[in-house]
Amino acid sequence: MASTERPEGRSLGDRVYDMLFHNYVWQSIFRSGYPNTPRNQMLVVATNVFLHLHPTRIHRTHVKITHTYCLGGLSFFLFLGLTITGVLLMFYYVPSVERAYEDILALETDVRFGILMRNMHRWMAHGMVIMVLLHMMRVFYTGAYKPPREFNWVVGVVLLVLTLLLSFTGYLLPWDQLAFWAITVGTNMVGSAPILGEPNRFALIGGFVVGPAALIRFYTLHVIGLPLLAAIFMAVHFWRIRRDGGLARPL
Amino acid sequence: MVATTQETAASPAVRARARRQRDEELLVWPDLVFVEFIAAVVFTLSMTALSILINAPLLDRANAGVTPNPSKAPWYFLNLQELLLHMHPALAGVIVPTVALIALGAIPYFDRSHDGQGEWLSTPRAKLNLILGAVIGTVGTLLLIVWDSSKHVVLWARLTGNDETDWPTKLNWLRNARALQDEINWPSEITKIPFGEKVLRTDLLGLPRIDLNLNLPALLVEQILPVTLMIGLPLLMSLVLHKRGIARTKRDHMIAQFSGFIAVYVVLTIIGTAFRGQGMELLWPQDVVPPVS
Repeated sequence: MASTERPEGRSLGDRVYDMLFHNYVWQSIFRSGYPNTPRNQMLVVATNVFLHLHPTRIHRTHVKITHTYCLGGLSFFLFLGLTITGVLLMFYYVPSVERAYEDILALETDVRFGILMRNMHRWMAHGMVIMVLLHMMRVFYTGAYKPPREFNWVVGVVLLVLTLLLSFTGYLLPWDQLAFWAITVGTNMVGSAPILGEPNRFALIGGFVVGPAALIRFYTLHVIGLPLLAAIFMAVHFWRIRRDGGLARPL
Repeated sequence: MVATTQETAASPAVRARARRQRDEELLVWPDLVFVEFIAAVVFTLSMTALSILINAPLLDRANAGVTPNPSKAPWYFLNLQELLLHMHPALAGVIVPTVALIALGAIPYFDRSHDGQGEWLSTPRAKLNLILGAVIGTVGTLLLIVWDSSKHVVLWARLTGNDETDWPTKLNWLRNARALQDEINWPSEITKIPFGEKVLRTDLLGLPRIDLNLNLPALLVEQILPVTLMIGLPLLMSLVLHKRGIARTKRDHMIAQFSGFIAVYVVLTIIGTAFRGQGMELLWPQDVVPPVS
């Protein structure tokens, strides 16, 4: 009898929710409330350093998967994946002619999940080249390079070159026959340029043939030089997308 | 009060348009973030699965003394290595890719109209130009490769029931590009032009004399012919498409040219990867054996 008159208390779910999301620590990290209202959903995007790459609202056609096939996003995602697997591979790899090949063998046999890391790094690298090329085709066929986005297309072409160079410099590192001769063939092409070819080739591989100097140069470019450069160009690329009003729309 | 009346008088249409645009928009969280999350998960899973199923290649330890036959560059440079078989190395390895990249970067500065922006192939003749560009690029590249690899001689022998050696001697100069140099009796005046001795007289300027003899037929085969074809054939395509009224705007021409470029890039990559065996000979993929040292 009394139970029907008792005022309804807050349910267990409400109390757990409050405990999780309305406490001091949580709110010191995430300033906006849980994104279950339009206001909080916009705030969560605008106040989060990672999510604020996006605008808070987006045209409904751009959410359709067939508009972009997520190709640019997946290229970036592969870059992140390559960074993570690459850092893990660096734990086990020494870029010296004596050790490089043995380290790869050890990675495949002695290191737990070593072969998985190497495989993922390899296939993601190939995947990134393909994704970047497909992304370029998507941007072309949707006319997204047109004003005011001309220069961002140029930045994209630079990123395509950086992607190819990142893949090419990584190709030498296992120091097997495949790596050695592919880089020999590739750098010989550079050497065939008129006048500047031979000096450039010499600077690139640090000698007349692919050897220890080439290995350390390619390694340094691969793990720090080119990724930094690519990160800078990516920052410009993403920033300009936002400044130019997001994805291109028909006028 | 004044401000309110002004606003209501001036803005119904404007406000309606703003509302329409708002109605067309979605919130990034959850609509876009969700799509991105799913894409990332699907991709992580497929990459992990691929890496569990297929191992990255690892051959013997690098050995500068043992050259595998064939030695190939990474697959995304095999298109250039394929070009290397048909023209001067400086052209194939450096000049063509540099010019191609500059041309690629220059696309938006050439085609500045807003036609077809933000939608897939939305200009009137876009799809037709894409298909024609891609088909012409593919067929043209294949024909040129077949000709320069003398496979038309094989085809002729098959069709006529003759032997490949029965190819008429008079037509030997049509066997491949190099035959233009080797199979024609060029007068010796043009196969050995004393360029450094007679033309570029650097010694008159007090500089060392350049020891350079020009071989005009070799120049023709390695440089003049490839450059003419690489510039001339795309121009010819655009000209024909223009005359037939298929490509009318800059965007039409861009689509045809870009599609042609992509087709050539893909064909060269595939030929270089799967159809080149020992000595970079043109073979069917099933006849290509792994490199031998």
